Amino acid sequence: MAEKVKLFVNGQEVEVESGKNLIDAIGAVGIEIPHLCYHPALGADGNCRMCLVGIEDGRPPLVPACKTRVAEGMKVQLDADKIKKIQRDIMELELINHPIDCPICDQAGECKLQDYYMKYDGQPSRMTVKPVLKAKKMDFGCGVVHDQERCVLCARCVRFTRLITKTGELGIVNRTDYARVNIFPGRPLNNRYALNVVDLCPVGAMTSRDFRFKQRSWFLTKSKGICHGCSKGCNIFIDHNREKYKDDIIYRFRPRLNAKVNGYFMCDEGRMTYKLENDNRLTTPQVGGRDASFNEAVEAIRRAVSQAKKTVVLVSPSASMEQMFAVQQLAAAIDAPLTGYSDGYLKQGDGDGFLIQDDKSANRSSFALLGIDDSKAGFEAAVNDADLVLSFQNDLSRSLGETEMAQLLATVKLMAITSSLNGCVAKAAVALPVASSSEDSGSIVNCDGLLQRYAVAVVKNQPACDLIHVVHLLGGEVKNVQEARAGLQTAVAALQDVDLEQIPAEGIALTVNEVAHVAA
Amino acid sequence: MQVQVLSTRFDIPDANKIEVAKQHGAYATLDKVFAMQPEEIIEVVKASGLRGRGGAGFPTGLKWSFLPKNIDKPVYLAVNSDESEPATFKDRYILVRDPHMLIEGIIICCYAIKSHAAYIYIRGEYTTQVKVLQAAIDEAYAAGYLGDSVAGRDYKLDVTVHRGAGAYVCGEETALLESIEGRKGQPRSKPPFPAVEGLYGCPTIINNVQSIGSLPFILANGPEAYKAFGTEKSPGTHLFGISGLVKKPGMYELPLGLPILEVIEKVAGGLRDGRSLKGVIPGGSSTPVLTPEEAQTVTLDYESMAAHKTMFGSGGIVVLDDTVDMVKLVENLIYFYHHESCGQCTPCREGLGWMLKIVKKIIRGEGTTADIDLLTELCDNIEMKTVCVLSAACTMSTRSYLNKFRHEFEAYVAGGAPAQAAM
Repeated sequence: MAEKVKLFVNGQEVEVESGKNLIDAIGAVGIEIPHLCYHPALGADGNCRMCLVGIEDGRPPLVPACKTRVAEGMKVQLDADKIKKIQRDIMELELINHPIDCPICDQAGECKLQDYYMKYDGQPSRMTVKPVLKAKKMDFGCGVVHDQERCVLCARCVRFTRLITKTGELGIVNRTDYARVNIFPGRPLNNRYALNVVDLCPVGAMTSRDFRFKQRSWFLTKSKGICHGCSKGCNIFIDHNREKYKDDIIYRFRPRLNAKVNGYFMCDEGRMTYKLENDNRLTTPQVGGRDASFNEAVEAIRRAVSQAKKTVVLVSPSASMEQMFAVQQLAAAIDAPLTGYSDGYLKQGDGDGFLIQDDKSANRSSFALLGIDDSKAGFEAAVNDADLVLSFQNDLSRSLGETEMAQLLATVKLMAITSSLNGCVAKAAVALPVASSSEDSGSIVNCDGLLQRYAVAVVKNQPACDLIHVVHLLGGEVKNVQEARAGLQTAVAALQDVDLEQIPAEGIALTVNEVAHVAA
Repeated sequence: MQVQVLSTRFDIPDANKIEVAKQHGAYATLDKVFAMQPEEIIEVVKASGLRGRGGAGFPTGLKWSFLPKNIDKPVYLAVNSDESEPATFKDRYILVRDPHMLIEGIIICCYAIKSHAAYIYIRGEYTTQVKVLQAAIDEAYAAGYLGDSVAGRDYKLDVTVHRGAGAYVCGEETALLESIEGRKGQPRSKPPFPAVEGLYGCPTIINNVQSIGSLPFILANGPEAYKAFGTEKSPGTHLFGISGLVKKPGMYELPLGLPILEVIEKVAGGLRDGRSLKGVIPGGSSTPVLTPEEAQTVTLDYESMAAHKTMFGSGGIVVLDDTVDMVKLVENLIYFYHHESCGQCTPCREGLGWMLKIVKKIIRGEGTTADIDLLTELCDNIEMKTVCVLSAACTMSTRSYLNKFRHEFEAYVAGGAPAQAAM
């Protein structure tokens, strides 16, 4: 634990962590200091002047809280009339040239200017002269649209491209109230994290072309989730909404702070994987290329399994640990070899050492824990004399070329149990829809050996069956997630000391030894 | 009244050439300087009472002593030659007429603060000045006063001229450092102060051209000789730039402490015939204006100015007679500071533009009394809420006009026409 210091805020003694600035330290005990330019990941710039606080007996008496470290015995004034007046005055100055177009602004509802106006200002406008007119809807590239009039020039976006991505596409040009955030001519944003500037922007100046005008933020349910776009497992908010007479739809993913995984950010590709949850979904079971009922499809698969000489079970590296366990139990019950072959999920050289990983699957680390082989040799040996492949969420078309796929399908029948309308569905003898990751819950282990939990976020009008239940209907022993966890607890040595029902919000690190300790 | 301490060589033809300057005493103090310990020089400068001539009037020797002791980083000197304050035109004389005095001063200062690299930050518009200065520096290198062995001593010093790109704010010392480092000239938050963390993160002393130019005299003649000029707390001489509506505007070297009206009358030739005094800007456009009544008792030194709630500033005196429209003067003033705001802090960036528009509205005859009150309140709301004092330079002066000449603003509001009779 970090050392603590005692200081006084508005005369009240509070104990806070030392070494932090006033905004973070006092904020951690629930006292807000308004600020626009400061962001914990981008450091203090001190330009918005919204966080000016009084220090009793201090020299100087007025300091920006973002640039002031806590000190023992410090007497911070936040509710003094002087400070309240400064906050009101700064808000007035922020707003005089602001278009106040909240009704058509995407940021409305999650805008610092709105919040602070209601909390710290609340005065009518005294602006009787023409405001400064600036450029609107500028295309900054990477799906970022900028509105200069809404901008408060906090420079968070500029600092993001300088400090985090180190690409420096953004800058502030000109002085005084001609100052504008802009790109260099002909050199738009060009990095794989660009959309983070939309989240970082405290106001509506940076908007996402993808999200613009789609939803009002207050209608969105902000569920916690884990991005399944790669093996990093960035923590996200799944913002979704069920509009009247419509289905529950995801409108965006946003990064959710987890210092152990992704900090405040996520990559643009991961952010856009929300589309896979909405679109291109397998919704109707299919048997022999024709729509069928759920029961017909299940029955068809059961029959195929009972008639098959040799069945191979294929599981996805993005499946949750619980799902993998259930599938593993099923494979054992029907005496079928289990493989996690998924070379197509690997994109060698795509990782960047920051958040983006080569492995585009979410949970390959659990293969090691559960002892599931994902080698090509293992897969080839397994399918060698088989006549049936049961694929659980594994899109084999990503790993096999067209001819390889054709060769395989010449000798085996493919049963695709999947949530998406992927390349396998059309070739499968039976296709059975299951819930996708945002509609299901489970545990995954990321590339750094961190075990994380996600819960059901989206409930469709006609929910797809969850994968573990399908596995159970096909003859698997495990009935539900709880049973899977209990089973995992005893079967996997690395998990014996972990309470799988109580995984902390920021995840729990499985030590290297535990990961290496493969279950027999 | 005029004296010659800094300006001794100003009227000598070709004194910017090293041979001419040397014939008239340039670089003569270096023998004495190098015989002293650096600490001794700092003590001499402290004893002379020399105060920073950039405007703030901070004691120069004391500033030097803020450098951390036992540092393993290089120490830099940055000479502030970004003379941009309206009504200020003193440093340009040193740069053109006697650049070797500045170079000699730089050698003295750098030796005292144990620096081996000095930057002269010169405003971009000073094209003639930069040519003359660079030529003088080249001469000094050729003559062995700069370079690996200064005046034959085991002491290395390099002087680099860095041209600004025309931003007033780069005269603010930390914005100046940012500009030298190649970034946009925006003031840094303090602390850390430049003496601890300045240029390239190293301890840096920033002095005005005239402060540095005063050093050769002080070292040559001793602190007492310097203190013989001026008052006890404001010793020495100053290059005053007197402009405005006087008969003989110009740059005059005067000891500190003289009555301002006497100087206007005797040195600058007084007001034009038939005109009466309306106000005096004592030290550059940012200093609060003085009414004729206040000017009666003001003397040209830091203490008297502070007692009259204004500032000594840069010694740029502007004389205003009864033909001056104070509202239009304020418009001009705010226009300048608004244009020169770096745009970093919210109050200055948004506020000065707002103030300008309100003044324009009053001048158009569309203003109300509420606008005058709002203007006054904005001065308070903006001032001292920012990283640097550029906004305060605007608001302090604007407030003084609003308080002392409010009736002129009210006349615009009431009449909707120029308050002044047609000139």
